[in-house]
Amino acid sequence: MATAIASSRELDDFESVVRLYWPKVFRFALASLRDRHAAESLAQDCFFKAYRARGSFRGEASVATWLMQIAVNLVRDRARDRRWQFWKRARQTAVDATSAAGWIRDRGASPEDAALIRDQVHAVWEATRNLSERQRTVFLLRFVEDMDLLEIAAATGLKEGTVKIHLFRAVQAIRERMTK
Amino acid sequence: MIDHLSAEQISQWMVGERTPQLEQHIEECTACRGELAQLESTISQFRMAMRDPANLAPRPEWREPAPSASWFTWPRMVLTATALAALLAVPVSWRVRAHEQALREEAARSAMADSQLLESVDAEISQAVPEPMEPLVTLATWNSSSAEQNQKAH
Repeated sequence: MATAIASSRELDDFESVVRLYWPKVFRFALASLRDRHAAESLAQDCFFKAYRARGSFRGEASVATWLMQIAVNLVRDRARDRRWQFWKRARQTAVDATSAAGWIRDRGASPEDAALIRDQVHAVWEATRNLSERQRTVFLLRFVEDMDLLEIAAATGLKEGTVKIHLFRAVQAIRERMTK
Repeated sequence: MIDHLSAEQISQWMVGERTPQLEQHIEECTACRGELAQLESTISQFRMAMRDPANLAPRPEWREPAPSASWFTWPRMVLTATALAALLAVPVSWRVRAHEQALREEAARSAMADSQLLESVDAEISQAVPEPMEPLVTLATWNSSSAEQNQKAH
């Protein structure tokens, strides 16, 4: 109860909410849509929707999970939008595997190690492209956003067992892609 | 002791389903431990790669959206009511007009029928004898005129 009230109060200062959670929402949108402009637009929509619906937030989940729930729904809607599918093919801002791998900062690794890491990130990035929308969502929430299975279930509206199955398949597909 | 972890068991481990049997095998098997470490490291690199651009992504300045005006404002409600009334009035007025037109046509038809009837009655009344007796009238006229001529001759 106290946690719920604290979570609800967190929404009173919405500017801080945006500051705190923008990277999380944007990152998820970028990895899902693979387009920087679309990800920014989706993240903005997400916060706008959250602001409008903040009165209905009961604090049953954390603000982060609630925001991710909105983001997951927006990504799902976007994936079903045929116009978006058309423009996605035509857009220049789409993030390809090379640039995703290029995001890795050089942390003092040798050129060989850096190249190996780039290849690995490239492989995972490519593998996530071929996952189903649900598998990709679950994988990103678990391994990029560090959410646990219950939080993922709350954000996606799936049962915990279903989340586990999607995650299991996603890991298998990624492992297969890496061993190719 | 299991030989090596299968692909399914590795995925199981990654998902978090860690049985004591799996844990024991990983502790003892260098190859499987290495494979898992490699997979975890790759996913970790992917996570770091994903987190870097997000931190650099421009964070928009949040401005509270202007409160949306309630739909139920007085001018809007009056306009809607007027539009609804107009929509309802159109078919009613059309029906009334059609009904009036039908009444007028009916009245005109009835007036024409009345005038025809009156004309025929008038024509009948103006006749001296009924139509079937007209030949007798002609005959009587003829007889009386010939009798007058005979009297004059006498």
